[in-house]
Order: sequence, then structure tokens, then C-alpha cells
Amino acid sequence: MSGQLSADIVVIGAGIVGALAAERLARQGASVLILEAGPRLERARIVVAFRNSAFKGNWMAPYPPSPWAPHPIYVPKDNGYLVQAGPYPYPAEYIRAVGGTTWHWAAQAWRLVPNDVRIKSLYGVGVDWPLSYEELDPWYQEAEEILGVAGADNTGSPRLKPFPMEPVAEPWAMRRFRERLAPAYPVVANTVARNSRSYGGRPACVGNNSCQPICPINAQYLGINAVEAAETAGAKVVANAVAHRIEHDAKGRIAAVHYYDPDKGTHRVTGKTFILAANGIESPKLLLLSASDKYPDGLANSSGMVGRHLMDHPSTSLTFYADEELWLGRGPQSPSSINTLRDGAFRSRHAAYRLDFTNISQVLNVTNDLIKEGVYGPEFEKQLRWRAAHQVSVKNVLEVLPNPDNRITLSTEKDALGIPKPEAHYAIDDYTRQGAEVSKADFARIAELMGGTGLRYSADGQFANNQHITGTMSMGNDPATSVVDAFGRSHDHENLFICGTGVMPTAATMNSTLTAIALALRTAEHIMPAKTAHGIAAPADGEASLA
Amino acid sequence: MALDQLDSVSASRDDPSNPSRRRLLAGLLTAYTASLIPWALAQPAPSAERGAFTALSAILVGRQALDAAQATRLYDALATVHPRFPADARALLALINERHIDPLQLQGVLDDEQSPLAPLPRSIMRAWTLGVVGSGADAHCVAYETALDAVMVADVLKPPTYAYGTYGSWSSKPV
Repeated sequence: MSGQLSADIVVIGAGIVGALAAERLARQGASVLILEAGPRLERARIVVAFRNSAFKGNWMAPYPPSPWAPHPIYVPKDNGYLVQAGPYPYPAEYIRAVGGTTWHWAAQAWRLVPNDVRIKSLYGVGVDWPLSYEELDPWYQEAEEILGVAGADNTGSPRLKPFPMEPVAEPWAMRRFRERLAPAYPVVANTVARNSRSYGGRPACVGNNSCQPICPINAQYLGINAVEAAETAGAKVVANAVAHRIEHDAKGRIAAVHYYDPDKGTHRVTGKTFILAANGIESPKLLLLSASDKYPDGLANSSGMVGRHLMDHPSTSLTFYADEELWLGRGPQSPSSINTLRDGAFRSRHAAYRLDFTNISQVLNVTNDLIKEGVYGPEFEKQLRWRAAHQVSVKNVLEVLPNPDNRITLSTEKDALGIPKPEAHYAIDDYTRQGAEVSKADFARIAELMGGTGLRYSADGQFANNQHITGTMSMGNDPATSVVDAFGRSHDHENLFICGTGVMPTAATMNSTLTAIALALRTAEHIMPAKTAHGIAAPADGEASLA
Repeated sequence: MALDQLDSVSASRDDPSNPSRRRLLAGLLTAYTASLIPWALAQPAPSAERGAFTALSAILVGRQALDAAQATRLYDALATVHPRFPADARALLALINERHIDPLQLQGVLDDEQSPLAPLPRSIMRAWTLGVVGSGADAHCVAYETALDAVMVADVLKPPTYAYGTYGSWSSKPV
């Protein structure tokens, strides 16, 4: 064994959630050490990797996994890291690197709607959360002010204080959707961690239309911003530190984390309090890997619920040609949604959903389609321009209910360091499938209102995944049915906290990152109350104000 | 002189020791193919193979002009990935010359006849329009901003990762 590190707070995972918890605690004077399995990345190199990629439709291409900290890759072929047990594939994508998966998020920073946390009481499905929307509100606000969230008040999520920023300027295409779908469907601006003005020392968006896989100009808040803020606050980050075992003492308190360096040298990190924030797949993997004589089923797992209740947001979609030139690709990728179907009495029968309009340039897809169709000669350019101008698509973002059979387990296969790979057991139930079926009528109506032709529905029974890995370490009041309490503290280990989308008891219909951050800030406050209210540091340009 | 007859004449210009006698694309074409790409007739054809590639490229992408430097890079990349590429390119051009195949019908004809040349048009199109040569794990990118799919919409869109314009400039009507 070589090397020994110690800190008041040891955080496992340098993604946006762990880093913001770390930053808050460091600002309170705690010594904080963040362990990250993957390497440090540079934004400029990611931009270049994308431009040089032969697979521009694959947003993981600029993020090749490191040999010691692999993550799932599916293009050009499956690297086999996330083992699929079925019956339905769960091809989750995430990035093991300093900064984590938000390197390539769309920065959709939604709040829940209030009824999302009470679906058992209200609709008889899923579970209730151990806290109310009202309890979450101040933590959402704090998260929104750190990230710099732009939004409007018409999305169905009430708030006590204003957004830090006005909504991002509406692309022409989204304006036309809004105008033409009214009054049948209100199209609203997405709530996003994307600057509509200079904020937090970062510039306003200039429409690079590559939010995924990388914002070249730092206009959207990423995990790396959180990591750098944590480091400024005094936290130390150890990259390429692959945690493989959490050690407990005789009383069941966590004593240390063991990690491998890339050469499989072993290291032990001690601390007073531990925060596991390695995402909804790697975190339960590590808990299961840490089984001991005292905890033969893994740590934090007296309930047997670690890894269970895996959720995400499956999508089906409709692609069509609008009857006017819209030219998707001008401005940010994810500007607008229809939010009115996120809640209602129907939730007792089928999944709620958000309807999401893409503003991703259609040029790549259209080019591939034309080549596939063998359209050559002058007709190619003519068709390319027409289709790129007219092609649009809408997708649903469907709720998945917590089901203990959907789960992450340890595979018998091992990675290069000899660590068992995660294995996904996943199915999409009738509740979600019925939601998809119902949404087809919305798709058809939207196409009709846009004068749509050439309607192409995604194949029946085929769902795209949205990489919103949720559940697997759910919070709850009952230690027999949940992994952590309402503050993210493990029911089984007094000084082990879990942060991330994995603690969410239900997935609702919104991108899950903002909720995970809000919960993590609440956890950090629970660990060490803030001496002062948490706000972002005044940036050099002096333009940030918390309204 | 009929365009059909140029082929034999131009063959004598292959002599690399005589660079002043520059070979032109027109020399590789029949009246039919020349009619498809009248703007390209004066493009240089340093060899029969490269000339065939340029002519095929012009026929397939249907553009008024093709960048010669990019043509060289794409040809080299394609010839590296597909050893038979130079010969296949000549064979495909000869086929179009002889049979007067409409570019819009070309893929269907090759597919119907199960021609060994069937993959060729798509390889050339992918190279020019996506900037990608090869497939699967061997695929690599040789052009991005100058790939024709970007060029063809450049009056309206920027290639992703390039700034569209100042904040909010995307709110106006596109064209």
C-alpha cells in the first residue's frame, strides 16, 4: 500500500453534484478531498475531438474512456462495459472524468412539479418522497443561482423567488411552434443552465448548437465549473483515483475509501464524513463491491434496495417536415417544451410526459438519409437544403415508475483493473408504454398544426434513452424500503451520505440534474450548516446579481 | 472534336515529363457525362484515376465547383482505405459514360445489378458531404467545416461548435 490521504469530508465522484456539495462544505471550512476515477479533460481538446470525429451523431465519441475507469461506449461498437441482463436494453451513457457527465448535457435544469413528490398519495402509483416540493424550493433556488439558470414562470413549477436570468432568446423555429400550436398546446421556454447574459464570469450563449457534446464557450454551466469552484474554495481533487472499496469500522461507521491508481497501486483515504456521488450506476456498484463479513450484501444495503428502482426517461418520437422553413440548428439545442402533460389525474393510469422539441441542426441526419436513399446529382443539394429547413421532431420524456426488478448489479465480468462491471436489469412496463401510446395523439396533432408531411414515428415498442439515470439508492423514511433518509444519509452508516440522481425515489418527467443538485446542497447543509447564505462569488465583470 | 474522342487524345498527355500539357477532366468524359457537369470540364485531371474521381465526384454531388485540394485529400484517403478504389472509380465512370446513367438512378441500377461497384457512390458521397472516409471502427474524419453538407447550408447555418452569431441572433427569421 502506498500513499495515505485524509480529510474531514471525502467525496467520491467529481461530477456536478459531488463537486457542488464539496464546494459548499469547503466554504464552511471543512477540509475536502474529491476522488475521481477518470482523468482531467480540457474543453478545447473536447471541441477538437468532436470536430475530428467520424461519428458526430455520437456524443460520447469525444470522450473515449480511460483504460482504468471505463464507461459505456456503443459506437462504433459496444465496449461491453455496462453488461446488459435484459429483458429490455438499458444503454446508459455517462462520463467518468473530472467534471462528470454534464460535460455533454443539454443543460436542461428543470424543477419537479409539486405533485411529482406525492404520486403514491395522489395517484396510487410509485412512492411518495420523504420531503415536499416546498421543502425543496429554497434548495432549487440556491442551485439555480449557482448554475445560473434561465427560465420563465410558466412551466408548472412554482417558485418563491425569481429566476436568476431571463429565458434564453427563443429560436425562430421555436417561435413558430409556439405560435402555431397555440392554443392547443402552450410551448414554453426550457429552464436551462445556459446564460442569457454574462453570469458567474461566463459569457452569454452565442448559438454554437453543440451543447451536446460540448459547449465551446462556457455559456452553459458544467460539472467542471463546479469542480473549479470547489478547488477555489479549498477542496482537493485526486483524478485517476478508482475507488473500489469503502471500509467500515466495527460500529458500522465508514472509516476509509480504498482506490486504485491507473497502475493498480493501492491507496487508502480516511475521513470523518463520506459523500458518495459517483452517479446512479457507479455509486451502487461501489456499495455492492464493499460487502464485508458484517455487511455481506454490500454497504448501505440492509434494505436490499441498493441498485434497485433503476429509472430513466425513455422517449418515442415523431419526425416530420413542417410546411415552412424553420432551419433547426440556429441557437442552443434544447430551447422549448410542452409542459402541460407532466401532471394530471391520468397519472393513475399511464405515465406523465414532457414533450420536447429539438433545435439540433438536422443537416447531419438529412445528409445520412439522402446518402442512404441514393439521392445524387443536383437533387442532393436541393433536397439537403429543403429537408434541413423543414425537418423537425418532437419527443416525449416519459415517466418510469420505481420497480425493484429494474436494477444495477455486479456482473461476473471484470474491467481492466479486475473490478466487476455493472450489470443492468431493465424493462419498460405497461404504465410507461401506455404513456407513449397516448402521446402519439399529441404527436399527430402537433404535426397537423405545423402542416406536417412525411411523418415518421419511431418504431413501435422502441424507446430511446435519455441518460437520466435515476433511483438505485432511493431516499425514504423507512429503512426497510429505502437506502438513505431525506437528507441523503445512509440508514445503515451514520457518516455516509449519498448525493446524486440515484437518491431520487421517482423519476418524474424532467431532466434530473437540478433536483440532484438541490438535494445535495440540502445534504451539505445537513452535514455542516452554512455560516452565510450560499451565493455565487461576484464575478469579475460584476454583472451577476441574484435578483 | 467530339468529347468522346478526347479520351484517346488525352491519354497522350499522361506523360509526367511533359507537365505543360495539362490534362483536363473533359478528356475523361463522354458527351453524356460532360453534359452532367459542364462546369467541371476544365478541372485538372493529374491522372486517369484522379480524374475519374473528380468527374465522379462532380456527377454525384452535383456541385458547380469542387475544391481541388480537398479532392486530392479525399482521393488519397479513399485510396488508402479501399485498395481497389482507383480502379473502381475508373470503372464506375466508364459505366456511366457508356450507359448514360442518370445520377438519381445510379444507386438503384448498381443495387439491382448487384454490382461490385455499388458501395462506391456512397463512399464518395460520405467523403465529400460528411468528410468521413471508411466505415465502422476504421472510419475517420478528413473534413468538417469544408465538408459539403456544411458548405451547402453555409448561408443559413454554422457547423456545430461554431458560433451562430451574437446572443439572440437566432431569433430572427432565417432567410
